[in-house]
Amino acid sequence: MKTIRLIAGNDIKRQFAQPFAWILLALVTILLAWQFLLLFEVYLELASKLNAADPRGASDSVALPVLRILSGLLLLIAPLATMQSLAGERRAHTLPLLLAAGVGNLRIVIGKFLGAFALVALIVLIAVCMPLSLEFGTTLDLGRLAAATLGLLLFSASLTAIGIACSAWTAHPALAAAAALIISSLLALIDMGARLQGVNNELINWMSLSTHLEPFFFGLIASVDIVYFLLVTMLALLFAARRLDSLRTRG
Amino acid sequence: MNQSTPELVIDRVSRNLSGRTIIEDLSLTLDRGEVLGLLGVNGAGKSTTLRMISGMLAPSSGSVTLGGLDLYANPERARRDIGYLPEEPPLYGELNVEEYLGFCARLHGLPRPTINAAVERVIERCELGEMRRRLTSLLSKGFRQRVGLAQAIVHEPALIVLDEPASGLDPIQALRLRELIRTLAVDHAVVLSTHVLSDVLACCDRVAILHQGRLRHSAVLSEIDAGSALRVQIEGDVDKDAWLHMPMVASAQIIDARCWRIRLRDGSSASDLAKAINDCSFGLLELRADGNALEDIFVRIATQPDTTEAAA
Repeated sequence: MKTIRLIAGNDIKRQFAQPFAWILLALVTILLAWQFLLLFEVYLELASKLNAADPRGASDSVALPVLRILSGLLLLIAPLATMQSLAGERRAHTLPLLLAAGVGNLRIVIGKFLGAFALVALIVLIAVCMPLSLEFGTTLDLGRLAAATLGLLLFSASLTAIGIACSAWTAHPALAAAAALIISSLLALIDMGARLQGVNNELINWMSLSTHLEPFFFGLIASVDIVYFLLVTMLALLFAARRLDSLRTRG
Repeated sequence: MNQSTPELVIDRVSRNLSGRTIIEDLSLTLDRGEVLGLLGVNGAGKSTTLRMISGMLAPSSGSVTLGGLDLYANPERARRDIGYLPEEPPLYGELNVEEYLGFCARLHGLPRPTINAAVERVIERCELGEMRRRLTSLLSKGFRQRVGLAQAIVHEPALIVLDEPASGLDPIQALRLRELIRTLAVDHAVVLSTHVLSDVLACCDRVAILHQGRLRHSAVLSEIDAGSALRVQIEGDVDKDAWLHMPMVASAQIIDARCWRIRLRDGSSASDLAKAINDCSFGLLELRADGNALEDIFVRIATQPDTTEAAA
């Protein structure tokens, strides 16, 4: 656990020593703030027609749409946050330091995952703060907001783990980001694509990340959805650890 | 650990990569206090061997044990006792020297209270004091190499593995690095790879010459020098038998058309040989101690791919 914390802490420190993390944070915050203000303006126009005391008003009109936009952005944010983690180490020839230090492959991968997840989770939390600010002027459905936040954190954990797996697979950060974006998008949109093709398959529906994220936006926290996200996260991290193992055995 | 057990034992190690044999049937041992130089041309398998010794790469067959522990059966424990400097120093450019060495010390499992002292010790040992607050990405090649070496020794490992440590250094930096490696050998076992013969002669106690993935020659350097005896340059062309007919000559080896390496029998002297050469009218041009025996062995092995010289 100590080594995992050390690797994660080192990655967080290095991330924030570079402009990339700050620029990513700033751009996402600006984009979400802009969307938030647009939605808020529309909400104000409609506010006279709505009962301000009804928590569904602000939550449905502003808070949850902002978080839905974030869920789409996370498909891009997670690959960008993870592309450097293992691929960057391989490219900078620093991976031997970890591999030769007697740290297990899984511990390296979990440390890298936590290091990247810290940035992604920070973005989620900043995004959640925007709709939370409405609590000063209106009443929000905090239960739904909490459920949506939990869902987004689980969703981003899965995307981060997929990003780490792709980053372990190649030594080129850009390729890792592209692969993670494609895989994540496929997993997120697979059910929509199937429906467009006229296929309504339960398995395809179950496999989709969106299927399991959507209930959280309605305030539904189901163990099956939590287990699904944890399963995707664990499988992706095991794949990354397996890849490090094969770097040792196959070269 | 039993003091009689060699620190590092490489036993019949082979390594295949993409269906190609990179290392074949390699066996070596190394004790604490020794510096072993792995010598070979580019592509001889030196870096692959070092990556296997450091735990970076698993052998296809055979075993590597450190202090009696198999490096792959007990990877975490065994690797804590290794310090590895790859060909390219593994530096995080976003960290300064002190932060980086602190991270390396913690990564190698040093207890928290001892980390500061270990970092200070290694900064002093590698003469990094003036650079301690500088980002590693801003260091010159020589300092990068020194920081790389510092990370390899910060946790005082039993075995230090250095891949081309003097690569890219200027002569003064290379000289200081050699001195440092010699001081490290007092308390550690050191393996270094190089294709620079002078590095081996200056730093190493033993040399192992790899060529095309096989160990072609292994010897104690002092024995190579002691046994090398004399190099003789003559005017005329003579054959080997002419030398062997001289009573003081134990063996004769041609270096080029008129240059020979002559080993003398016990009790014979160089003046005996000089007198015999004059008596035979070979036309003696030069007679000197042969200080380049290692170079000749290396060149012979490197230029004759099918050489079958047995590993000692």
